[in-house]
Amino acid sequence: MQQAIVECKNLTHYYGKRCIYENLNFEIPKGRILGLLGKNGTGKTTTINILNGYLQPRSGECLMFGESSANLSPETKQKVGLLIEGHVQYSFMNISEIEKFYSAFYPKWRKDAYYELMKLLKIDPKQKISRMSCGQRSQVALGLILAQDPELLILDDFSMGLDPGYRMLFVDYLSEYAKAENKTVFVTSHIIQDMERLIDDCLIMDYGRIVMQKPVSELLESFKRYRFTCEKPELLDNSNHIYNSVSIKGKTELYSLLSKNELEKLLSGNVKVTNSIQEESLSLEEAFIGLTGKY
Amino acid sequence: MIKALLFKEWKKTKWFAIGAFIAGVILLTYLFLKLGRSFRMVGLEHLWDVIVNRDQFLFRDLKFFPPAVGFCLALAQFVPEMVQKRIKLSLHLPLSNRKIVFTMLGFGMTLLMIIFAMHLLILLTFSGIYFPVEITASMIYTLLPWYIAGLAAYAMMSWICLEPSWKRRIFNTLIMFASLQLFYLTDFPGAYSFVVLSVVIIPFYVLPFGYLSVQRFKVGIQD
Repeated sequence: MQQAIVECKNLTHYYGKRCIYENLNFEIPKGRILGLLGKNGTGKTTTINILNGYLQPRSGECLMFGESSANLSPETKQKVGLLIEGHVQYSFMNISEIEKFYSAFYPKWRKDAYYELMKLLKIDPKQKISRMSCGQRSQVALGLILAQDPELLILDDFSMGLDPGYRMLFVDYLSEYAKAENKTVFVTSHIIQDMERLIDDCLIMDYGRIVMQKPVSELLESFKRYRFTCEKPELLDNSNHIYNSVSIKGKTELYSLLSKNELEKLLSGNVKVTNSIQEESLSLEEAFIGLTGKY
Repeated sequence: MIKALLFKEWKKTKWFAIGAFIAGVILLTYLFLKLGRSFRMVGLEHLWDVIVNRDQFLFRDLKFFPPAVGFCLALAQFVPEMVQKRIKLSLHLPLSNRKIVFTMLGFGMTLLMIIFAMHLLILLTFSGIYFPVEITASMIYTLLPWYIAGLAAYAMMSWICLEPSWKRRIFNTLIMFASLQLFYLTDFPGAYSFVVLSVVIIPFYVLPFGYLSVQRFKVGIQD
């Protein structure tokens, strides 16, 4: 087992009386890219905020490099690259000012990495960040993180507001960098297609709980969609290895981690399947919908 | 690192600082011109009578200028930090949170003191040319509480801006206006002579409150 860069232990958080989650546990080993997937309001940004020490959980703790995230030392902060939701940066600075500003804080600063990405933007280095499009701002934020060369990257909803071109550019750059340099990444996004190309492990959250925590390859290998017709779909039990079964006019669709044979065995008793079960492999987005439902 | 942090603060406040200095100079010029006109219209003897015997203060129009500058500087410096919770970026810089916040507040306070010192220098130079030392000294004692109110206004407005909860911001605003009243209890020339050293403590006493608000932000307090 590789050393864990991030460890969250028994995190519980409420906003007022609304439970966000209880006893959330996960860790990110060195060199892995973990994607936190969830619908809006399931606690993705809450988790990022707790992780960065901008929110005190009701109970539990998060450790980064073995230090409590609520009180990180400057040395540990230096090892963490942070991308805030919406690619927020100091918009009153221009491209070259912001580079100079951050370079003073990070001894391993890689100016070339930043300017390599800025060249793609084809904009004047004196242009203020506030006058850039969201896509351009995302590249500035990414460029700054790459130049910082942190050991751990925390990216909150990096795809927010980006068009497909910029999203792809962001994912390609990040993925190549993280894999080549053995970086640890914790990332959230609500655009799951992007995550499929980027992440090694996924942590899928629904309201108040973790639904699944697995390497993506393992999830996509084992989690399938099945279609069949049956006589008594109302007897399907969603809690019993079956996720989000939907039946319309006898045609049933469900998701499961069971193999086709195991599912046939499970259904053979009561629901009376009337044709052969069709098994379908899933994309990460389809698996996400299968686990959390459409609503 | 501190130099870079100060550069960031200067980037946010540069135009405001220049504007505040120019506005102060314009206001002082207006007051000097008004005074010059009085010299010509009513004569020096009458003016002397007004200042010495009737205890009138000729620069009363400056009264609310320093707190207005203090308010606006705090807004120029901290609103960009609180919009989109950009302060998260600042707090993530590899320095202790205490050092980050106090450097920011210290920068604002120093900048304000420089602007005020330049205004006072112009004013006192002018006063020194036309008035005897006693009147200039009395002028300093009358003006100082107003300028200290400017520093206090900056410290308290920073506290309000950095506060994450709107309810608490309203409460802090009430505290601010109540506290600023202390500097405006009377316009009588030299009335604060004996307490001016005590009131100078107020802005420096209030300044750390901004750090407490940042600590509240850090634990996730919000409305």
